[in-house]
Amino acid sequence: MSAIVATMRRNRLLPNYMVVLLLLAIIIVAGTLISDRFLTVRNFSFLFQQMVVLGLVSLGQTFTILIGGIDLSIGALAGAITVFVASFLDWRPDLIWVAVPVAMMLGAGIGAINGTLSVFLRVHPLIVTLGMSSVIFGLTLMYRKQPGGSVPIVFEDIAYNNFMGIPITAYALVAAFAIAGVWLQRTGTGRMLYFVGGDEEAARLNGVPVRRVKILAYALAGFCTSLAALFLVAKTGVGDPRIGLPLTLQSITPVIVGGTILAGGRGGVFGTFLGVLLVSILNNLLNFAGVSSYWQWVVQGLIIIIAVGIYRSDRRGG
Amino acid sequence: MTEVDNAAIRREGMSMAGMFEKYGLIVFLALLLIIAAVTSPAFLGPQNLVNVLTIAAPLGMVVIGQTFAILVRGLDLSVASLMATVAVLATAFKATDDSVIPLIFVAAIILSAMVGLLNGWLIAKRGVSPFLATLATMIILQGARFAYTGGAPISTLPPGMAWLASGRVFGIPVNLLALGILAVFAGVLLHRSRIGRQIYMVGTNPRAAFLNGTSPERITILCYVLSSVCAGIGGLFLLGYVGTVSNWVGQGYELDSIVAAVMGGVALSGGRGTIVGALLGVVVLVVISNLVLLLGFPIEMQEVIKGVIIIGAAAFYRQRLM
Amino acid sequence: MVEPVLELTLIEKIYPGVKPLDRVSFDVVPGEVHALLGENGAGKSTLTNVIGGAIRPNGGTIKYQGREVEWRNPREARDAGIHVIHQELALFPELTVAENILVDHQPRGRLGLLSARERTRQAKTILKSLGISIDPSARIDELALADQQMVEIAKALVGEVKLLILDEPTAVISGKEVDLLFDRMRHLRSQGIGIVYISHRLEEIFDIADRVTVLKDGKLVGSAPVEELTRSRMINMMVGREITQIFPAKASANTEAAEGPVLRVRNLASGKRVRDVSLDVRAGEIVGLAGMVGSGRTEVADAIFGIAPIDHGSIELDGSRIAGHRPSVSIGRGIGYLTEDRKGSGLFLDMSVAANIFAPALSDVSKGMLVDNGREREMAEGQVKAFSVATPTVSTRVGALSGGNQQKILFSRWTRIADRLLILDEPTRGVDVGAKVEIYRIIRELAERGLAILMISSELPEVVGMSDRVVVMAHGEVTGEVAGDEITEDSIMHFAVAAPNRASDAEREAAA
Repeated sequence: MSAIVATMRRNRLLPNYMVVLLLLAIIIVAGTLISDRFLTVRNFSFLFQQMVVLGLVSLGQTFTILIGGIDLSIGALAGAITVFVASFLDWRPDLIWVAVPVAMMLGAGIGAINGTLSVFLRVHPLIVTLGMSSVIFGLTLMYRKQPGGSVPIVFEDIAYNNFMGIPITAYALVAAFAIAGVWLQRTGTGRMLYFVGGDEEAARLNGVPVRRVKILAYALAGFCTSLAALFLVAKTGVGDPRIGLPLTLQSITPVIVGGTILAGGRGGVFGTFLGVLLVSILNNLLNFAGVSSYWQWVVQGLIIIIAVGIYRSDRRGG
Repeated sequence: MTEVDNAAIRREGMSMAGMFEKYGLIVFLALLLIIAAVTSPAFLGPQNLVNVLTIAAPLGMVVIGQTFAILVRGLDLSVASLMATVAVLATAFKATDDSVIPLIFVAAIILSAMVGLLNGWLIAKRGVSPFLATLATMIILQGARFAYTGGAPISTLPPGMAWLASGRVFGIPVNLLALGILAVFAGVLLHRSRIGRQIYMVGTNPRAAFLNGTSPERITILCYVLSSVCAGIGGLFLLGYVGTVSNWVGQGYELDSIVAAVMGGVALSGGRGTIVGALLGVVVLVVISNLVLLLGFPIEMQEVIKGVIIIGAAAFYRQRLM
Repeated sequence: MVEPVLELTLIEKIYPGVKPLDRVSFDVVPGEVHALLGENGAGKSTLTNVIGGAIRPNGGTIKYQGREVEWRNPREARDAGIHVIHQELALFPELTVAENILVDHQPRGRLGLLSARERTRQAKTILKSLGISIDPSARIDELALADQQMVEIAKALVGEVKLLILDEPTAVISGKEVDLLFDRMRHLRSQGIGIVYISHRLEEIFDIADRVTVLKDGKLVGSAPVEELTRSRMINMMVGREITQIFPAKASANTEAAEGPVLRVRNLASGKRVRDVSLDVRAGEIVGLAGMVGSGRTEVADAIFGIAPIDHGSIELDGSRIAGHRPSVSIGRGIGYLTEDRKGSGLFLDMSVAANIFAPALSDVSKGMLVDNGREREMAEGQVKAFSVATPTVSTRVGALSGGNQQKILFSRWTRIADRLLILDEPTRGVDVGAKVEIYRIIRELAERGLAILMISSELPEVVGMSDRVVVMAHGEVTGEVAGDEITEDSIMHFAVAAPNRASDAEREAAA
């Protein structure tokens, strides 16, 4: 733990993280007071099952925001991959070992297309990924308009079962964030994302392959989206073109709450993880408190404003 | 620097490339119309044209507002959510009497202006990025709206609201007339007035604008208010067209309005673009949608083509910045 | 003769319609500082980019350490030991000094993963070898500009640097910082590193350079050891004509002493940089405001114009305080402010020449709320002619014009509305010698027409050549004032390096 604190202090992120951690603590205390079913293994198992999809798409979004971009095609892509997996496995349930890697490659590949278009057409990623979102969504709809298909029961096991009392999804989520965190902080390629996001021109002059790094960031976002889609299809059992759409904007909130700034170059996955926890636990708490899901939207909007308010002291704004 | 400067001057002169950049959209639109006329004789029929434009009118209003937000280096993601919220507001009067309509308009404009003020305040005074600020307002409006309606559609509207979509004055559809008035007002404001000049100044270089005696904060807030008000008015006209208030009236308009503006040459980096260009962008967008239908493609194809067009158009204008 | 570390022969670079480099030959031997001179657009940047691998030439050969090479990208040149320090520093403001220094030589620890501790240790060693004390774990955006530049130089020492190229490093620093930079450069030179040095400041060339090469319009004008050259010979080579009189004649002394000052600043404190400043500017007078970068000069101008707050003291224009302190009010009172950052805070690059000229005074070309485009165009054409701005039309985008012409547009903008006081911050920065002469003439003419002018400049010859009186600042305070024949580079420097408080207010009053 002290090592983590030291790393954080070195990166001068401690004060910001402290605010999020403090908020988390407040929410958990409040939750415990509101309902005795809140702070239970059962509820937190449920929370992690709920959180894994949001966590993975937010992780993906962290990469694109770190390099100063954004990916607005996440939702459409997630839907498309659920449709692919459910349709394919409906046809050949025995070919899981084909369907899963292909789904991942599809995600990474479409992400790479996002990055490539943005880099080579020199168009802002907002526009590119928005356009790609339309293309992916349209193509998916042309194949399947309504939810359908099916997946083998083993998917459901992964989504809902526990291993040593802890949901498998929790292991998956923590592992994904840990790998991403070490990669970003402790490898040369990972650091390059910070260089590109911090100052693209400086990165270029320092010999960083800016274009390749950008394409990589979008490919990673697509890859994370495909993982999220696999958990989605495991939970629902069907492929649904529309199921991912809300994820596009939802994926941004935890990243911002976690202190990664839209301008790029600052932040990281640990913050995003805290952001995912905060958003998920808050929604969970609001459910316990009997607040309608509609008001949860309002709360989410306020969280964005408050989060940006916290990080606003940043030189480059939120 | 000199070598670059000379090249730049040449580029901006009367080269073919320059001409194309200026008139590319019109050429593209003409091409679309020719393709449409050849492949489907029904397209250029007056009835179809009026239909196409009538559908486009509310989007056109939103795009006019969106243009102001983009011109000051921003964008407004809250427009669609505001349209639906304004529509819900219209039903809140629970009136079936047409005399309430002016009141509905006044209330809608006041609500919109307040939302615009909130956006503008967050962006200009609090330094929140436009993307996040308007995203937050969008979600908040959505939550408030659903909490009010409980998620159910409502159809208690004054019958006169339908006139907004189908009525005609001197043979001109009311909504097109309204769009025209709004466009002329916005055009004069932007291209002829001092405020318009200040908007371009703030969009091009906010710091220099401040040093030249303009208040970037006030101008930015004004632009978001204009964006919201245009969206609010557009919401009422769309409501007239749809007839029933679902909680999702106008869904997709936030992105469509940005797409249309960008296609019309409004630069996301701010300070560049015109009302006429943005409206041409709207026309191109709806003509494409219409063409997809007329050519008998599946309706989902619209999405795909829209996506390709937006990337292509943006690449055409070479916008590198947000 | 030592074998050159770098030898360029007949390098050519051709773009459609222009030839930024036309058969230029250039060489650097180890252990020399080779100055590269030329007006803006002469081809210096293109040449450094060719050396550094950012631009591939169309013709000619590059020989590096005796071997013919062809860089495919900056990385290759870098790995071979060529380090370019660009005008815009290639640093990451969000990251630490250590990470910036070791940007592409990140040390690895266990498991092949990067080690922050090792990074900091190595950075510390490099900084020490340069003799600089900067905290390796500080973030770049916390450092002063001069320290940032040192970080950039430290970066060069990570690999085995053979050739160091500095593109106008002194444009953003001055005084002690320049001395420190030169000191480090001599240190590197003594280690056998070849250095290419680009600067507009001729004084520095004599100070640091061993050899000088001059480019003009992409062609080689000549190359010679610095001892064989004089200042006027260098200018002559750069502009291709003899400039006998750079600065126009000064005003005859004290003709208007009877009148009260136009601008009267008393005991001004503003923000962190301005602690105690008092100064007067009279009508028809050019007052130079000198001092090191960071001494608070620009911040004084900001406070006068209403950008920075007045924390203490007073600012009076024509004997009355400026109420409602902000730019729009200052403009209304007849103050103009030409900022040092032409592109960042001066011009609207995407807008037309006409729109730029009338930006602070839209009401002059408006009828009611509407802008009268015809009148604006007509008046703009008059201004363009009066300031001899070279532009095809007044609706041309300002971004398409050269630096000198952009600066003239700013002059035409501010002199139109400034009928009392004109503040100039680095009025000739990034402007070539030819345009400089014209700008000096314009400034003097404005003063002769009765305008009060406050001119901030880092170039001492400019301050000496233009000012009727010079106020010198150090550490946010006025340390001295010189006038008339007493204005020399030495006398200004004397006050600029003075510790504050030593030159008391009384002394300053006596001088005035």
